[in-house]
Amino acid sequence: MASPCSVLVETDDRAEAAELLAIAEEEARRIELKFSRYRRDNLVYRINHSEGRPIEVDEETALLIDYATTCYAMSDGMFDITSGVLRRAWTFDGSTRVPSRHSVQRLLKHVGWSRVQWSNPTLTLPAGMEIDFGGIGKEYAVDRAATMIAQRTRSSFVVNFGGDLFVRGVRRGDRTWGVGIDDPTRTGESALYRLDATTGGIATSGDARRFVVYRGKRLGHILNPKTGWPVEDAPRSVTVAGRTCLEAGTLSTLAYLQGPRARTYLEELAVQFWIV
Amino acid sequence: MQLEKPKPPSALRDALHTAALALLLVPAATQAQTAPTTANTSDSPDRIDVTSLFYGEQGRTSIFEPVVRFTHLMQDGQSLSGQFGLDVITGASPTGELPSGQVQTRTSASGRTITSSAGTLPTAPFSDRRFAFDGDWKKPWGRVVTSTIGGHFSREKDYQSLGASGMIATDLEHRLLTITIGGGVNRDTVFPVGGTTAGLSSSAIISTASNQKSVANVLIGVSRVMSRRWMLAVNASESHENGYLTEPYKLVSVLNPTSGVPLTSLTEKRPSTRTRSSVMGSSVYHFTQDLLYSSYRYYWDTWGIRSHTLDLKYRHQFDDTTYLEPLLRFYTQSAANFYTGGLLQGNPLPDFASSDYRLGALNTITVGGTYGLRWNDFPGDWTVRAQLIRQSGNSSPPNAIGVQRRFDLSPPVNIYAVVVGYSFGY
Repeated sequence: MASPCSVLVETDDRAEAAELLAIAEEEARRIELKFSRYRRDNLVYRINHSEGRPIEVDEETALLIDYATTCYAMSDGMFDITSGVLRRAWTFDGSTRVPSRHSVQRLLKHVGWSRVQWSNPTLTLPAGMEIDFGGIGKEYAVDRAATMIAQRTRSSFVVNFGGDLFVRGVRRGDRTWGVGIDDPTRTGESALYRLDATTGGIATSGDARRFVVYRGKRLGHILNPKTGWPVEDAPRSVTVAGRTCLEAGTLSTLAYLQGPRARTYLEELAVQFWIV
Repeated sequence: MQLEKPKPPSALRDALHTAALALLLVPAATQAQTAPTTANTSDSPDRIDVTSLFYGEQGRTSIFEPVVRFTHLMQDGQSLSGQFGLDVITGASPTGELPSGQVQTRTSASGRTITSSAGTLPTAPFSDRRFAFDGDWKKPWGRVVTSTIGGHFSREKDYQSLGASGMIATDLEHRLLTITIGGGVNRDTVFPVGGTTAGLSSSAIISTASNQKSVANVLIGVSRVMSRRWMLAVNASESHENGYLTEPYKLVSVLNPTSGVPLTSLTEKRPSTRTRSSVMGSSVYHFTQDLLYSSYRYYWDTWGIRSHTLDLKYRHQFDDTTYLEPLLRFYTQSAANFYTGGLLQGNPLPDFASSDYRLGALNTITVGGTYGLRWNDFPGDWTVRAQLIRQSGNSSPPNAIGVQRRFDLSPPVNIYAVVVGYSFGY
């Protein structure tokens, strides 16, 4: 998952904790292997190198594609799993280098979920296009690991994969799990907020470390699939609490993509959120 | 502008929630089990690469080499690949003899008469076809260890090569560090046309049996990601060769010790063992889009050859499908200790002698480039690679005798190579 992952379980049984941790780890690795776009030996690689030929996918992949399709439709195209190709034009290294309009325009020709033919279980991706589950894969892994742990223990627990997490239950003595929200300028050093989480998912979208500076503006690494450019005047980070980690993650990404309207957007959705 | 009326937010939340639940409520066991099996039924991730090399040395050899490579990726990370290549070589190669100032005539092993004009380096015409088959099998063991085993077979008119190799690579420190250890063995057979001649003789055939040559090599490599943009690698290799290492058709001139006129020529003779070692450092630096590759290699062997190779490549990415990669390479080597321009009549014969220019002092400069492109709506990637290599040796060695001083004993050779490649998946 390319980030620190942890599982906290409130139990006195060390063996149980070890077993639950192993379950979470195995599930995280399975999902990473299966959906990573960095591997050459999985279905995502085959889809991305299908050169316009139809590919039949398994049930789990089909469900994730269905989820992505819903996100695309509900966000008027702002959430698009084909937008990953745009990253080729950008390097978010804190410098002032931005790509040419031409190179972004060329890549935009290969973006757009509406151009993909999806008829479960067959996906036909036009040549040159790519899909990437990076925007939902980690949150999905959190929810899956949490589901599997929940089936095996009655204890309260937290599954935290790189800051996207799922919390279940209250701790002993009616205490809650405390979740800190980072100061993006001092990642891991100081928390700006502390939330008391009970059951549900919490996820954050932001530009903590990956950005470029363009005309004096800091542009984060989340790209608008319609313009191919980073979202301007976006908050530094958007944290959302939802019923699942997937829901929280999708909403925080969508809110971030609204740029300066992120706060209004989340207020209209009537969800719990924290904006930095 | 988005003119459509925004969807009610609660509908968005509910839709996401429903979709997420649909995804999460599938029993875990089903997911884990169905994943590998059903994925296997989908499209086969096969890939074919076709390349054609056109290689030419001005006035000497030309090679046409089409290669087809087939790769099959398996679901569990294993891959199998096979490669078939065919070389068609025609042209002429220097025999090793020196120019004489007169027309030189020789009769080749096959009875053909070869004539070289006065003052030029004698060359022998040849044509050959070589086919080669290579296969390898790559298998991951867990997440950080990968093994590769391979086999090789090639055959031409007078040479056959059979080899096997194995390699293990492991990733450490969260995949920032990769260590590679490998080795291989080769069993080659040389059967010179007409039979094997005695070394340093006037082409006396001493055997019609084939000659064996065996090679064993080991290599170790370490590569490390230094930063998000920079990767460094160090490799070392050693190879031991044993057996018939002589070039069966190369000759050494015997000169008149005062006039320098070639009187006759003898077959060459090389030691029957050779240990070759090399160390190489390389770096890849990734700019925003472009890449800079640089490497340096130092090579030495027990025949006394030392060489330095400096390689620089810069890849400029025009857009996502088109790039240009210019290349500059400098190579310099010292001569083998038994390399000689020519033997002197009347002197005792040395143990070993060769006038093969590849064992002499040599400098080459390579200028070239690769252009890669992909046409919209047309599957596959094209590459065109072109190189111009200028090879020069010591044209007027200080120990040249008599008439040899008037000739260019190592005329610079211009070599061109063009490779057209096409790669596609299906």
